[in-house]
Amino acid sequence: MSALLSVKDLSVSLGGKTLVDKISFDVAPGEVLSIVGESGSGKSMTAKALMGLLPPKASATGTAMFDGANLLARDTQTLRGTGIGLIFQEPMTALTPVLTIGLQLTEALESHGLCSKAEARRRAIEMLDRVGIPEPSARMHQYPHELSGGMRQRVVIAMMMLLGPRVLIADEPTTALDVTVQAQILDLLRQIVHETQIGLILITHDMGVVAEMADHVLVMKAGKAEELGPANELFASPTAAYTRELLKAVPRIDAVSAGTELDAQTLLSVRSITKTFQTRGALFKSGAGHRALDDVSLDVRRGETLALVGESGSGKTTLGRVIARLTSADAVQVLLEDSDLTGLAGRDLQARRRAVQMVFQDPYASLDPRQTVGRTIAEPMIIHDALTKAERKQRIESLLEKVGLGVDMARGYPHEFSGGQRQRIAIARAMAARPTLVIADEPTSALDVSIQARVLDLLEGLKQSEDLTMLFISHDLAVVRQIADRVAVMRNGRILELGPASALFAAPKHPYTRALIDVAPVPDPTRKRGKRPVLQGDYPAGPLKEVDAGHWVAE
Amino acid sequence: MSALTHQDGPRAAPGFLRRLLSSPSGAIGLAIVLLLIFCALFAEMLAPYNPSKMGAGGRFLPPGGKHLLGTDEFGRDMFSRILFGSRITLLIGAVAVGISLTIGMAVGMIAAFRRGWVEAILMRSTDVLFSFTETLIALSFVAVLGPSLQNAVIAVGVAGIPFYARTCYAAALVETSKPYFDASISAGAGPARLVLVHLLPNVLPTMIVVATLGVSTAILAAAGLSFLGLGAQPPTSEWGYMLAGSRDYINRAPWLMTIPGIAIAVTVLGFNLLGDGLRTSLDPVERK
Amino acid sequence: MWRFLGTRIAMGAFTIWITTILVTLLIHAVPGDPVQIMYAQSQGTTPEQIEEVRRSLGLDRPIPVQYVMYMERLLQGDLGATIRGGQPVLEVILQRLPNTLLLAIAAMFIAIVIGVPLGFLAAYREGTLTDIALMIVAIAGISMPHFWLGLMLLFFFALELGWLPVSGNGWLNLVLPALTLGLSNAAIFARLTRSSMIDVMSQDYVQTAFAKGLPKALVLRRHVLRAGLLPVVTMMGLQFAFMMGGAIVVENIFSWNGVGRMAVEAIFQRDYPIIQGFILTFSVVVVCVAIGIDALYAVLDPRIRRS
Repeated sequence: MSALLSVKDLSVSLGGKTLVDKISFDVAPGEVLSIVGESGSGKSMTAKALMGLLPPKASATGTAMFDGANLLARDTQTLRGTGIGLIFQEPMTALTPVLTIGLQLTEALESHGLCSKAEARRRAIEMLDRVGIPEPSARMHQYPHELSGGMRQRVVIAMMMLLGPRVLIADEPTTALDVTVQAQILDLLRQIVHETQIGLILITHDMGVVAEMADHVLVMKAGKAEELGPANELFASPTAAYTRELLKAVPRIDAVSAGTELDAQTLLSVRSITKTFQTRGALFKSGAGHRALDDVSLDVRRGETLALVGESGSGKTTLGRVIARLTSADAVQVLLEDSDLTGLAGRDLQARRRAVQMVFQDPYASLDPRQTVGRTIAEPMIIHDALTKAERKQRIESLLEKVGLGVDMARGYPHEFSGGQRQRIAIARAMAARPTLVIADEPTSALDVSIQARVLDLLEGLKQSEDLTMLFISHDLAVVRQIADRVAVMRNGRILELGPASALFAAPKHPYTRALIDVAPVPDPTRKRGKRPVLQGDYPAGPLKEVDAGHWVAE
Repeated sequence: MSALTHQDGPRAAPGFLRRLLSSPSGAIGLAIVLLLIFCALFAEMLAPYNPSKMGAGGRFLPPGGKHLLGTDEFGRDMFSRILFGSRITLLIGAVAVGISLTIGMAVGMIAAFRRGWVEAILMRSTDVLFSFTETLIALSFVAVLGPSLQNAVIAVGVAGIPFYARTCYAAALVETSKPYFDASISAGAGPARLVLVHLLPNVLPTMIVVATLGVSTAILAAAGLSFLGLGAQPPTSEWGYMLAGSRDYINRAPWLMTIPGIAIAVTVLGFNLLGDGLRTSLDPVERK
Repeated sequence: MWRFLGTRIAMGAFTIWITTILVTLLIHAVPGDPVQIMYAQSQGTTPEQIEEVRRSLGLDRPIPVQYVMYMERLLQGDLGATIRGGQPVLEVILQRLPNTLLLAIAAMFIAIVIGVPLGFLAAYREGTLTDIALMIVAIAGISMPHFWLGLMLLFFFALELGWLPVSGNGWLNLVLPALTLGLSNAAIFARLTRSSMIDVMSQDYVQTAFAKGLPKALVLRRHVLRAGLLPVVTMMGLQFAFMMGGAIVVENIFSWNGVGRMAVEAIFQRDYPIIQGFILTFSVVVVCVAIGIDALYAVLDPRIRRS
């Protein structure tokens, strides 16, 4: 079968630096090629080079044969869209906010002179329907801000497909979406490939997505091709060392975790937390609020890692922040080691706060850019402990060592360090306060897969050596599987299921949990899920009932 | 405090100066401002004549010869007047911006930090004051207190408060919503520490840029008031005032009009360029 | 959208209300006896007449009462009378206000018509010589004091070349003052438009438009322009207020018979009723224009229109 697109020795350089170094691959009709790599691998640049959308100072060499001509050597404006289409990562910003959906769908058809205005409109509505958007004709008059992220991504797919490309490049199309929406978009893409026999280049960093979708895989690192081959072979027996590393680093939801002996002693107890965020009403009236937390109660046992799992809007982050007393709540009761943290304010609160420390998601905003690393870590000590300079210095150094960083890093400023290093510093700071409970809010979501693995290892190691009790918040079930002892599944501000990790993953009792586990991509092509049922509708969200030892389910 | 090396800012500080100088606007702006400061400091030594001395030369002498920039209607030497005017101009800029900046930053930071009703009141008041526009506030001040350079400067200073308050508020909001701020709260930091150690240093770069650009606005505003006769009074060698005086002699002695105007324009240009240069050179440090 | 506008209108009304309070208090902020100061310049006013004025202005009553008196009269359209000649302030202001508004609107028009397209051009040719040249001109324009520009224009066009009259109130007289005000503000609009457009051009949705294969001109016209002009519209309200302020000086230079010139004269003559009236009028005009522009913005931005 002749290839639709044949790339040989594609290289991209910008300002003297080589961003992409002699990449070669083919894409055949009806085939999905996945380009996978971490940040800085050059995968996005490859896509831009093929589309002729490189930044002005960048240059590309090599050949990309499409339709008998070299894409890199000619002006691709007419080919864009009609020959090759491109879908970007951020659905929220991919559409022009001041133009209607309808106009954005039809304008390319008209501009390329493919059909009349009326015909374009007809096709647009048809395509919206095909990508699964309800009420397509009504949508034509709507504006992007009136649609959700998943819907916007569908619109973008429709927009590109309308032009009838023969190759579609999707650059991280689902990274910014919830895992349930991701599943639907991937299904949609797979369906389109099957029906139209286009070639799809799927760029991603997620090995699970690769396993789900790809026929062939190209692994990139620092601009170079590490490995290229059929998906099954690559996953089963990777030839390149980097591929092996990558596969090892990916957390797996179907892994078997060793059971930990749990101390039944309750460390933290929260009761009936309710939190409503007021939406801005007209002038000074308060409008109907958004219920972020709805009567949530939870116990955390000493020495355990309890995971809060859910999609966006589930309330998991809000719960963590309420416990840490960073966000106020309407109704709350927080008991830590038998002392009531609820009513504290002012100086009292300041003094007791150290007991609960947080590690945040964004490593680039977690550290004060104008303070040295040493000062940042020392802050809790400076505030609470009466230590001499020497004693403080010693503690800082020992903390840095514990998180795997060099002691001379204390003199540096945050901007000198990478994301992974900054997270380690944030962990050191959390520990400097000698807390009773550490709340980690998506601590590795912003990191590359290989870095994520190392930081998770660090957390697990610390858990043992420092006897940490941790509340781990995440949307990624595979990560949770690896690190958690117990898991609480949240949705719309309520806990739907709570139980030991092994039991919950092996035999989930709540339909929502089952759906979440079902939908999570697994880095194993032999376990492709196929088309999944739509994850909508109501789930039982009543009070929790204990159905097994330590295993509660909402009904 | 800490045994570790205490540095007064990110280690990229020396790099920052280099970056500022590498941008053409930054370099030119800095040069102009430095020249201005030099003139202001050493006006006594540089000026050939006493700026207020009438009859230092013949009246309406055109530029050239003993009087580098000519003389005015009273025979005062223009060059000396311009030199001393630079001192006044700088003082005006410094004092007016000083007032606006300190009060504005206090308001902005408190509003962003406290949130709640304090924030609402402070920011609404700022909005109201803002809608009065600087000119009106300045005018009202002078109307009440009477025309004088002092009052004009205070007026311009007060009039600028809403702008600095708003800018500082916006910048402070950004910082207080970052996780490192929460982390410090969790560590047990009290309001003083949060504002002085964490908020202020991070808001300062933006405010420095704004203040530099604001010096130009303040100088123009004060000059405008002086031009109307509401600011500097005779025989002060303030440039705006000098422009006012030149109106009657446009035909006879056009240099009386051109020269002070150029002086103002160049000064303001210098601060604008410097501000622009600062803005571009401070930015990269804050990103990763 | 109505929520957005409602808030704006409420804020505007609140501002005007605060203005009335401040205006009443104004007289009391004057160091010394305001009435004495007001009449210091006119000869032959007897102490009895001064007392009379004091009573009629209500200055001998407690402040809250004064405020009520002031508001009562205000709502009847009575803004007091000038010190010299005793004309009703409202009349004096209304005679001159249209001239000032005319000037401000003409200047605004010039500023937008010159500034925005140049800013757009600079953004389109970002980094090229055109861009740099335009921005140099813009920054020079901002740095120049507008009263100086006015004087220079007066000198060249009216005095030297004699093309335009020096002072007076005809249409030709509008040209120079409007140009003076307009050109300085054109520079601001140019810089603002340029940065807004550049910002928009780096957005994802512009990349998407290019990815569809749309020609550059179309992308600019349809996607960049509309999104990029929104911040410029927002600025228009602010710039109008500045222009009103600038009009005060410009009216002075060109002897344009507007409220600005009136206000400056009043300050010198310590004619407080006029000063009060001026402040109030200025506030009302600025607030109304700001609300008008906010309404325009609300209509143009679908995110607000449809919320």
